[in-house]
This record gives sequence, structure tokens and C-alpha cells, in this order.
Amino acid sequence: MEMMVRNEEKAAIIAVTGRMDAVSAPQFDKRLETLMAEGATRIIVNFQNLEYISSAGLQIVLANAKKLEFIDGELLLTNLSGAVKEVFEISGFDTIFQIFDDPDAALASL
Amino acid sequence: MLTITLPASLSNLGQFIVPVSNWLKSQGLSRQKIVRIELALEEALVNISRYAYPQGRGDIEVHCQLLDENRYLIEIIDSGIFFDVCALPTPELKACVAEREVGGLGVYLMRKMADEITYRREKDKNILRLIFQATPDRNAGATPFNPGHRGIQR
Repeated sequence: MEMMVRNEEKAAIIAVTGRMDAVSAPQFDKRLETLMAEGATRIIVNFQNLEYISSAGLQIVLANAKKLEFIDGELLLTNLSGAVKEVFEISGFDTIFQIFDDPDAALASL
Repeated sequence: MLTITLPASLSNLGQFIVPVSNWLKSQGLSRQKIVRIELALEEALVNISRYAYPQGRGDIEVHCQLLDENRYLIEIIDSGIFFDVCALPTPELKACVAEREVGGLGVYLMRKMADEITYRREKDKNILRLIFQATPDRNAGATPFNPGHRGIQR
């Protein structure tokens, strides 16, 4: 799994590539923790190039959304497709998160 | 038929999943179906690695087998403490971010990915059988599953 961060005026955008499984998900957690430690309160996660996510990844997404909500921040998700979208739908995560077609649409909502 | 036996550890996750995935690919299964099987297998393996052997080390055996022209069996066996995945309740899926509990989703996803699931305890072993139909590719929806034998949850 690879991650790339881009800081915009309104939010930090993190693009995740590859597979987010029980082994790699903690790296994503650490990266989000670092972003928050750097002061980010609005984080957009771009899943365009994520091909696989398991419950370990979902748990990290939810745990960090809770942290951001607690400090009046937001976690926005974009570009869900294929297996990742299916896992979000089955777990009901598609109804509890703000999901956008792409990062520009997410930024425009802020 | 493919059999893999390795110590129950998250560090061995890839050593189980990659050969299983390659074997399924060699059988001509679609990528979409393989990803579902990988997900179910990961959730089962993670659960065993985290909870089956609280007192020490133990192994996990994974058997993959073509049952008939349309059905694949993934059998996962451990010698850890009794745990019937079929007996777990469905997690709350509608709660908002603040109220939604972190965790509890792995077994649920595993049950949703498999077309059939059975559990039995035999000679101090947990034997989990996940069956996947090669076709048609099923979209998300109700999954028939056999509750199997029930017992104490770990």
C-alpha cells in the first residue's frame, strides 16, 4: 500500500494505492495520526487506486472519523469503486460517511 | 487441491492469501470473485491469529478444493479455543460515526462474501468451511449460511 498526501487550503488530501489489509492498515492509521498532529482537521481520502479493503481498513477509517468529529473536523471519502465500494456498501459505511466522486467535489463541499 | 499450514500470525497473512489467490486464478476464477474470497479468508485468518491461541502459538491449516464445476471450498482449521463464527450476532450497521462501534465487522464481511458457511468443532479443532460459487457472480445481498453447531464465543 502506498500513500500520497497533498495539502490544499481547505483540507489535506491523502491518496491511497494498493491493498489495505490487516497488515498494511496500521500504516494508514499512522499517516492520518501524523496529519492530525500537524494540524489537519479536514482530511479527504482518495480511494481511486485502492483495489482492496478489509475490516481492518474500515476500522481505521471509522476510528479516525471519530477523532476528527471530536475536534469538529471531518473525514471525507472519494472515488469508491469495485471491491472497495462493495465492502463499504455491505458494512453500511456508505451511509455514514460523506462520499464524493472525486477530491475536487469534496473540496467544493467545504 | 491446495494445502497451506503455517503458524497463526498476522505476519503470515500474505503467505496464505497469495498462494490461494494464485491457485484460484489458475482455476480461471474472475478477479472479482477472487477478491471476495481473499477478503473472507483474510477475515478468518486475522480472527484466528488474534484470538485462537491466547496461551501461545498454534497453526492454521488452509485447504482449497474444487468441489464440483461451480463450487470452491476454502477450509480453515485451527486447534485454538472454541469459536463458532456462525453464532456471532450481526453488528449494528446503521449507527452514525459517533455511535458506530469500531470492530466486529470482520466476521460479518466473511459471512457476506461466502455463498455457504459452516462451522464444526471436531477433535479440539475449529473447522470453518467457506464455499464460493464460481458463477454467477453474486452482488451484495442476503447470504444463505448454515449456522452449524453453536457454543461459547471467544
